Amino acid sequence: MLRVRNSKKMLHFFKHFKKEPIEALLFLCAFFSIIVLFLMLFFTAKEGLQAFFTFGIDLIIGQTWKPSEGLFGAFPLIYGSIMVVSGALVIAIPWGVITAIFIAEVLPFSIRDIIKSIIELLASIPSIIYGFIGVLYIAPQVASLFGISFGTVALTASLVLAIMSVPTILGVSGEIISAVPKEYKEAALALGATKWQTIRNVVIPIAKSGILASIMLGFGRAIGETVAVLMVSGTVARIPTPPWNFLSPVYPLTAVIAMQMGEAAVGSREYSALFGLGLILFILTFIVNTLADIIVKREPKIRSGKK
Amino acid sequence: MTSRIKEKVFFTILGIPMVACLLVFFWIVFVLSSGIGTLSWNILTTSVLKGGIFEMIIGTIYLLLGAAGIAGPIGILAAVYLVEYAPSGKLTRTIDQAINNLAGVPSIVIGLFGLTFFCKQLGLGISLGAGWLTLTLMILPIVIRGTEEAIKLVPTSFKEAALALGTTKWKAISSMTIPSAAPGIITSVVLGMARVAGETAAILFTSCVLVTRGLPTTPLDPVMALAYNLFVKIVALGEPPEKVFGIALVLFFIVIFFATAAIVLRIYYRRRQPWLR
Repeated sequence: MLRVRNSKKMLHFFKHFKKEPIEALLFLCAFFSIIVLFLMLFFTAKEGLQAFFTFGIDLIIGQTWKPSEGLFGAFPLIYGSIMVVSGALVIAIPWGVITAIFIAEVLPFSIRDIIKSIIELLASIPSIIYGFIGVLYIAPQVASLFGISFGTVALTASLVLAIMSVPTILGVSGEIISAVPKEYKEAALALGATKWQTIRNVVIPIAKSGILASIMLGFGRAIGETVAVLMVSGTVARIPTPPWNFLSPVYPLTAVIAMQMGEAAVGSREYSALFGLGLILFILTFIVNTLADIIVKREPKIRSGKK
Repeated sequence: MTSRIKEKVFFTILGIPMVACLLVFFWIVFVLSSGIGTLSWNILTTSVLKGGIFEMIIGTIYLLLGAAGIAGPIGILAAVYLVEYAPSGKLTRTIDQAINNLAGVPSIVIGLFGLTFFCKQLGLGISLGAGWLTLTLMILPIVIRGTEEAIKLVPTSFKEAALALGTTKWKAISSMTIPSAAPGIITSVVLGMARVAGETAAILFTSCVLVTRGLPTTPLDPVMALAYNLFVKIVALGEPPEKVFGIALVLFFIVIFFATAAIVLRIYYRRRQPWLR
């Protein structure tokens, strides 16, 4: 039943193209994104699933990553990624969300644009420059502050990553907060609420799920971050002792791929293991991004507020 | 009165994280500008083979222009479809979702895909062309979203005026809507270029080499790029960061140039086009 209706719709869809052939071209360009995502999934999976056939679940829960000895257990790498990203989010979430609220609700209109422009510039600084600054300035600072011999540790990676994810969190939650209908705020203010009471009891509850989505997008961005993290994390594929020791080096997932792919011979076990890691990363970020998208779109109040 | 003062104090505290953002930015600018002494006109224009960085700069520009040249047309047409033609339905929603997802794919995964698909499957090898296609995937979502915004800002009356004269829908859109949205469209392409100018992970396995003879003459030649060289020199060769300060600085200038250009363009055209006020 559903199929019949769908094919009827499809027919209508393609009839349309006959009237204006250009529309077919436009449609193809729009459809291109779907094609690319499918190709991406297919080709990463083609190489990556090989690794799961070879190593089984060991690729995810194995404790030792030593390609030279044929050991491909990525658990320490996954742990490293999650550790660094959690550290970064602990800093970046309050930083980003409070900044978003401040810019949208408190900052006077006249300087809002200039502040936003500067933050946009901050967002466009490339990963490699953050890595460079991390190695040159932040790592030595961390080393001398905590009295350790090398500054390239999980904490440094978290700090750099926090700075890099703030613009993402800030941008998305800022958009959501500014989309809260003005009438709601005015109603609260008219009832005698102070500005802060209005923000806390009206703006934040309405924007709550949007803020959550921005955090998820920040997570997706942070866990996929490669070059900067590689440069400042220390690249030691071992779970720190104790596991929450942020002053020991780690080796996040993305860093391993970037570092070892160059040496891996095409078709070798290492090559497919690295693609396996890539596949994990792809699927993880895909799920997080899709969820974030659904959350934002499910927000009826804000959707109506935009109109 | 006291509660108002209290609130003022509170809001000032609430502003600290924003000030921190600004401080971080200015600190980065300050830190990088301290290395300006390592740059000279000589280094910029001398070949890599003789210790300069000339080919890296041109290589980076080649990568950017090519990628924007591919992603630009596709992205613009896709956005026109989504705003002007797409019926509201499942397929359109899926396309929309796919664009968001594409924007969120980690650059290293895009790099891996480029390696297996463009380099191996399509047989492009480590080449400028493979780099273009890989970077295209990163620029595309930015161009589509920016163009969509720009088109939505154009008053529909422009298009309707053309339609009323008896033109086809496409003629109305291509002669009225797109030209009126052009500044916004250009801004989004420039913004896309800014976002990938320093991209390293995506071109790591697909298009770059540390040293090659001269500039690429065909899209099938490998290319030298600032970001790649910076990465390999620090990470793989273990050179002290101070020694490659010049490369980092030039890369930073290029990125900031494109990012600032996008911002200035946007502000300038918003002022000039009365319907955007």
